[in-house]
Amino acid sequence: MNLRAHHVLLWGLFIAGLMVMPELVSKGTLRTMIFACYLAIFAISWDVLSGRTGYISFGHPFLIGIGAYTTAILSKRFDVPVEISIPLAVVVTMIAGLIVLLPALRIKGSYFALVTLAFMELMYQLVQVIRPDLTGGTRGMSGLQTLTRGALNGYYLAASLMSVLAIIAWLLMRTRVGTALWAIGMNEESVRGSGLSTTRLKAFAFLVSAAIAGLGGAFYVHYLGSIAPRALFDINFLFTIIVAVLIGGAGTIIGPIIGAFFMVFLLEWLRPWLPGAERYFVYGLIALLLYMFQPKGIMAILAGLWVRLKRVTS
Amino acid sequence: MTQILIQGLLLSGLYALIAMGFMLIFSIGRTLNLAYGAYLMVGGYVYFWLSQQLGLPKIVGIGGAVLVGVLMGLLKHRLIVKTLKGDHVAVEISTLILAVVLQAGVVLVFGDSSKILLPIVPGVVTVAGAQVTYNILVATIISWVVILALYAFVRGTHTGRAMQAVSMDPKGAAISGIDPDRINLITWGISGALGALGGVFFASYTQLYPSMWVAPLIISVAVVIVGGIGSILGTLIVAHIVGFLEVIIVSVWAPELRGVFTMLLIIGVLVMRPQGLFGREETH
Repeated sequence: MNLRAHHVLLWGLFIAGLMVMPELVSKGTLRTMIFACYLAIFAISWDVLSGRTGYISFGHPFLIGIGAYTTAILSKRFDVPVEISIPLAVVVTMIAGLIVLLPALRIKGSYFALVTLAFMELMYQLVQVIRPDLTGGTRGMSGLQTLTRGALNGYYLAASLMSVLAIIAWLLMRTRVGTALWAIGMNEESVRGSGLSTTRLKAFAFLVSAAIAGLGGAFYVHYLGSIAPRALFDINFLFTIIVAVLIGGAGTIIGPIIGAFFMVFLLEWLRPWLPGAERYFVYGLIALLLYMFQPKGIMAILAGLWVRLKRVTS
Repeated sequence: MTQILIQGLLLSGLYALIAMGFMLIFSIGRTLNLAYGAYLMVGGYVYFWLSQQLGLPKIVGIGGAVLVGVLMGLLKHRLIVKTLKGDHVAVEISTLILAVVLQAGVVLVFGDSSKILLPIVPGVVTVAGAQVTYNILVATIISWVVILALYAFVRGTHTGRAMQAVSMDPKGAAISGIDPDRINLITWGISGALGALGGVFFASYTQLYPSMWVAPLIISVAVVIVGGIGSILGTLIVAHIVGFLEVIIVSVWAPELRGVFTMLLIIGVLVMRPQGLFGREETH
């Protein structure tokens, strides 16, 4: 695992920074930060799978949506307490992750991305038609149980969830399994050639990614208190997740978090000038330019600056 | 029964036209152009702006839409695809971002609400008890003419055969004295034109709204995946399978389920037979 003292120090600083944040910023900013935390969780989930193995998933809203809908239906329609419905939601999402894994055993690249996109659209259409008495149909559900009251508690919950998941994912990616997942992204045949079971490795990546997505989705829906198919199974939502990862830097754990915060705050700052969906015009253009300039994201730009700074000072 | 047959034939012709432009890019550039749906949307809006807001003749509207489509295709190849130098994942993701940018751009200019296009050719004809608008009839006929012209172009002309060669083996084509870059540029232009033209018809068949690009994109994806890449005939046949499936499900089952079987078809075919029903084996 190769843990060093400065790793512990940096993570400690990161968490301390998150925890003192409510003292420094207003309530409104705090609410924005809650969204950023949840987006960061989804981004980490996407990154564990697609940022590492190179299997680009366009279906992450599918997994997040399954987690969210499972706990919403269980707690609203069957009065299951959230302590049970959220773990169940994670389990169901992991099973869904195995379904997404099936095509990944045979196809890769663009084709895999397309199948996952089809999964998402399929789910969007099915949710509205099958058992609308359970799912709430096109309009979704509202009045779901919320876990916390007020922006402050909501923030602490979201920030701690994000930190815990980020550290778990970070530790996981520093093990030999994490390295093997990287290797799959570079050359799957040679990984198989080295005697590793790529099927098992991929299954592991899908399960971890699905578990994070399910957990994030479940907590998110219990924060919002409502759920609607078009808000979840939507290309714009997918776009926000992927852009957060890529802007931040794929394959790093801290990158997607930075990306998520950057994008959510950018969207907030644009609100006074562009109140509606037009915001995505500026937002998307900035994302596109940043991505074209440095496909490895903000992390790579920062690393480049760091190297240059060192050269200047020495 | 005849109703289903006629509706199916009309819808499928339109789908074939829409999927054709997507297939060209996928088979020659080897890239998924996720912004392809946005060509349709922009084409529809350009037509709406020229013919309904400025009151120009309809043919000018269609011409303008096609021109903008070509321009978008060329620009995208020059600015994005060439800059990223064939990194497929990067191209796919940047086209996804571009699609969202274009959608937001349309909202910025035309607003969020959906617009209704006046029929391009007004009037209704009754064929064997089925009501058929001239609008969709003309759209289908023009689609067929364009598809046949495209087929003749790809099969008969030097540039068309060069396109086939690049699609099969870019290196081999380059050795034979074809400039793959030029062929790619031409293909992106043609694809943009087909998309914009398809968009005008598609918008007049359904409605004009900023997120209208998702449905035709998914249909194109389905048609191309199931048909296999590089096969105009396969695209044509599968467009009819998808079109008829939709019409049958809408009329005998439930309209809400119209897309479900298209998705299942994509997932099923990709998992069972990744090269598609009519496509050739991929070597890489």
